[in-house]
Amino acid sequence: MTMTRRTFGKGRMAAVALMGALSLGAAVQAMAAEEPRRPECIAPAAPGGGFDLTCKLAQSALVQENILSSPMRVTYMPGGVGAVAYNTVVAQRPSDANAIVAWSSGSLLNLSQGKFGRFDESAVRWLAAVGTSYGAVAVRADSPYKNLDDLVQALRKDPSKVVIGAGGSVGGQDWMQTALLAKAAGIDPQKMRYVAMEGGGELATSLLGGHIQVASTDIADSVPHVESGDMRILAVFSEERLPGDVTGEIPTAIEQGYDVEWPVIRGFYVGPEVSDEAYNWWKDAFDKLLASEDFAQLRESRELYPFSMTGDELNDYVTKRVGEYRELAGQFGLIQ
Amino acid sequence: MIYQRLFLVALLVVYAVLAYAATTYEAPFSYEPVGPRAFPLLLLILLAAGTVYLMIRPGQMAEENADTPLTGQVLGRLVLCVLALALFAFFFEKLGFIVSAFLFAIAMCRLYNGGWVTSVITGAVMSVAFYMLFDRVLDVPLPLGVLSGLGV
Amino acid sequence: METLGYLGQGFGVATTPLNLFTALCGTLIGTVVGLLPGLGPINGVALLIPIAFALGLPPETSLILLAAVYLGCEYGGRISSILLNIPGEASAVMTALDGHPLARQGKGGIALSISAAGSFTGGLIATIGVTIFAPLLAKWAVAFGPAEYFVMMVFAITCLAGMAGNKPMKTAVASLIGLLLACVGIDANSGVYRFTFGSLGLADGIQFVVLVLGLFSISEILVLLERTYYGQSALKTSGRMMFNMKEAMLVKWTVLRSGVVGFFMGILPGAGATMASAVAYMSEKRMATKDNRFGNGDLRGLAAPETANSAAACGSMVPMLTLGVPGSGTTAVMLGALTLYNITPGPMLFQTDPQLVWGLIASLFIANVMLVVMNIPLIRVFTKILAVPYWALVPGIAIVTAIGVYGVHATTFDLFLMIVIGVVGYILRKFDFPLSAVLLGFILGGIMEQNLRRALSISNGELSILWSSPITWGGWALVVLMLVLPMYRGWRRRRAAVPANP
Repeated sequence: MTMTRRTFGKGRMAAVALMGALSLGAAVQAMAAEEPRRPECIAPAAPGGGFDLTCKLAQSALVQENILSSPMRVTYMPGGVGAVAYNTVVAQRPSDANAIVAWSSGSLLNLSQGKFGRFDESAVRWLAAVGTSYGAVAVRADSPYKNLDDLVQALRKDPSKVVIGAGGSVGGQDWMQTALLAKAAGIDPQKMRYVAMEGGGELATSLLGGHIQVASTDIADSVPHVESGDMRILAVFSEERLPGDVTGEIPTAIEQGYDVEWPVIRGFYVGPEVSDEAYNWWKDAFDKLLASEDFAQLRESRELYPFSMTGDELNDYVTKRVGEYRELAGQFGLIQ
Repeated sequence: MIYQRLFLVALLVVYAVLAYAATTYEAPFSYEPVGPRAFPLLLLILLAAGTVYLMIRPGQMAEENADTPLTGQVLGRLVLCVLALALFAFFFEKLGFIVSAFLFAIAMCRLYNGGWVTSVITGAVMSVAFYMLFDRVLDVPLPLGVLSGLGV
Repeated sequence: METLGYLGQGFGVATTPLNLFTALCGTLIGTVVGLLPGLGPINGVALLIPIAFALGLPPETSLILLAAVYLGCEYGGRISSILLNIPGEASAVMTALDGHPLARQGKGGIALSISAAGSFTGGLIATIGVTIFAPLLAKWAVAFGPAEYFVMMVFAITCLAGMAGNKPMKTAVASLIGLLLACVGIDANSGVYRFTFGSLGLADGIQFVVLVLGLFSISEILVLLERTYYGQSALKTSGRMMFNMKEAMLVKWTVLRSGVVGFFMGILPGAGATMASAVAYMSEKRMATKDNRFGNGDLRGLAAPETANSAAACGSMVPMLTLGVPGSGTTAVMLGALTLYNITPGPMLFQTDPQLVWGLIASLFIANVMLVVMNIPLIRVFTKILAVPYWALVPGIAIVTAIGVYGVHATTFDLFLMIVIGVVGYILRKFDFPLSAVLLGFILGGIMEQNLRRALSISNGELSILWSSPITWGGWALVVLMLVLPMYRGWRRRRAAVPANP
């Protein structure tokens, strides 16, 4: 995942404030019996990355809603967009009810391509999805491509003439969304010129510096540059237009006639052998959270859009998604 | 000199294994002219050339080796030290930080000529103090392991 | 002029008693955190953000605190580099090359004071640079595309050759090993996993912390064990803590040059600070003709990377403030701190929040001053670390090292990997391969390969992209200069020698 994309949560302020009280008093405090004693959020990335954001969001929200009396700790376990954490939880801490692990659509994508080792999507208990972002296609403000159609026409004429940059490698989310766009436009994705950058920041500078012509990116990364007038977003891969002044102006790919939707969902899972009792405690906690007004604000401040799902519903959704991803990967020749 | 040559031979064997692995790296389909295989293979070829050169002309050895020759006894201690480190890593999560660091610090302290009493004191002080410093003050979560039942 | 007005306001805010006190505390905390191997500015800044909120500090005070902690950590990292030969992060590797020999010669205090003065000057040069040029420099940062990065890396690797000394082939092999280690893990361009042998722990490649702590910390522990066996139990410290006038004169030009180099390289997102310290060190080594003791405790060899480093640390604020793109892991965390105040960093920041931007720049000045004010008197305390007997020092280093790895990568796999790297590092060290070359190769190599391949993807295989912009021309010119300069020197020396024996 990209290091630069996302930012920090407010949670840690409370974290430290409460830390002192917690360490002294936790043992004697009479808490709700089911509440995890050492709640922990595993962020399968380096500090400051997208998963860190997801953990921080839950961390501050759970305390704010008085669901947890003490903030969760955040543990960093980077590796393979979540592969290391997935394997560690499944193999070594399957029944640890204290730990929830952050995941994103990127993790599901890698899972579907067999990059998560010997375990598949049924190996963990999917807990909650708390929000989503959307993919987008951006160009520099002075680009000849004024809308998605201009770009697609240019691609049709000669796909090798348009240099598309993305914040990840072949098979990653940014690549998949362009491949889907190409497919919707009847262009062979394998014929496109694709340059893999490392993260959203590098991608933005390359686009602004004119080293690439088109950036396949994420909506949150590009909006500040749109506001400053340096960039133009040709299309966002959401179902409908997004809320907000600037973001509301951005047309969707669907309304421009290309049926591509690419949400980047963020959420949590727990180990496979976590008891139903503990699982339900967490599920109820997230249900309460997702219904709250304050959480909606918190989510908005992290530049995430609503996407709420927990429990069995999410489990079905994830299973379905991973199946779709697997099929796509097969179609695009990523897996045999 | 002979040890260096042995080491260089070992390096050459490693290069060969890696080169064999590298030849299989192929992108599902390629957008870029270079591909994932070229760079590692180029490096391995250059490394092999450099290593062979060093086998023929080994050059001088460091001065720091002169006053601390590696005798069997030193080597034995070094092995013990690496073993202590490995055991520490192995028990880090299983026993938890405090217990594993306590035992590890005692072993290390003994290795570096500390007395038994000082070793035990050092181990106790360090394991608890570092746990408090990192886990509580600096917010770096450390595993509690066998002590997790204590509810601290 | 408007700029100066804002800067004046910034200073007005930064010099209130509360803020001065905050800056002092920040530098102290930063120094202590930076001192611990494996913990660097990222941890320090991340740690302080919540505390700033818990205390209810106003935004400008929090920013001052963060800037102070950042610079404090950078400085604290130098202390373990110099005194223990364990650089905590990439940019401190070059510091150890001449810093630790100085400490072993009993000049630990002088080394620390020179490095404080160098850091201060570097920070000052860069802060002035930020003040004057920041809005312009955004263009310089985006002008660097893959081709330009590749050329810069070629330049940096040419500079590496300058480190070779009397063992060119060992240096070459060591840096090649570093380059090869950088290939491990997922290949960013194609998505292929290289040299992971099915291990998911290696999927993202070898983590930098694991490599640096393995190579330096673990191998140092083993070397200290040898020394213990031969009866040494602690290093001696000398009486003098401050550098004198003569020493200051020796490093004055080095410091000025390195400060400028560091600032401009620090602006480049990515390897800015590391490259800055490496290039500054090696170009100074090439330039030094008189009493060249580089590698054995030359003060210039210590001052150059230190100055460049701290200049680069301030320079990395430029892309963060002007583009909203963090230049380093630490600035990424700082960006997060800004968003807590509902400030979106990005190209509009200079227009929308000028007070905040100039307040931050003013607090960099203040933090730099505080660093010197606080650290010079504390040098005596820090050098006491050397007097700690090995039986207490080494277990401490070993445990903190393990925590440092576990803290950023909570798996025991990385602990084992670190030990394996450490043992190999120890063997390499015994056979006199320079470990710093391994590390620099590792850092530069990844960037070099990926950017070459990106550049060639952009141009569809046309090599001409590598010399298609003014920046690339400048880069190649520097490469040629680096290669020709020593030859020219040698030729002049030979010519000068001829009339001497008629």
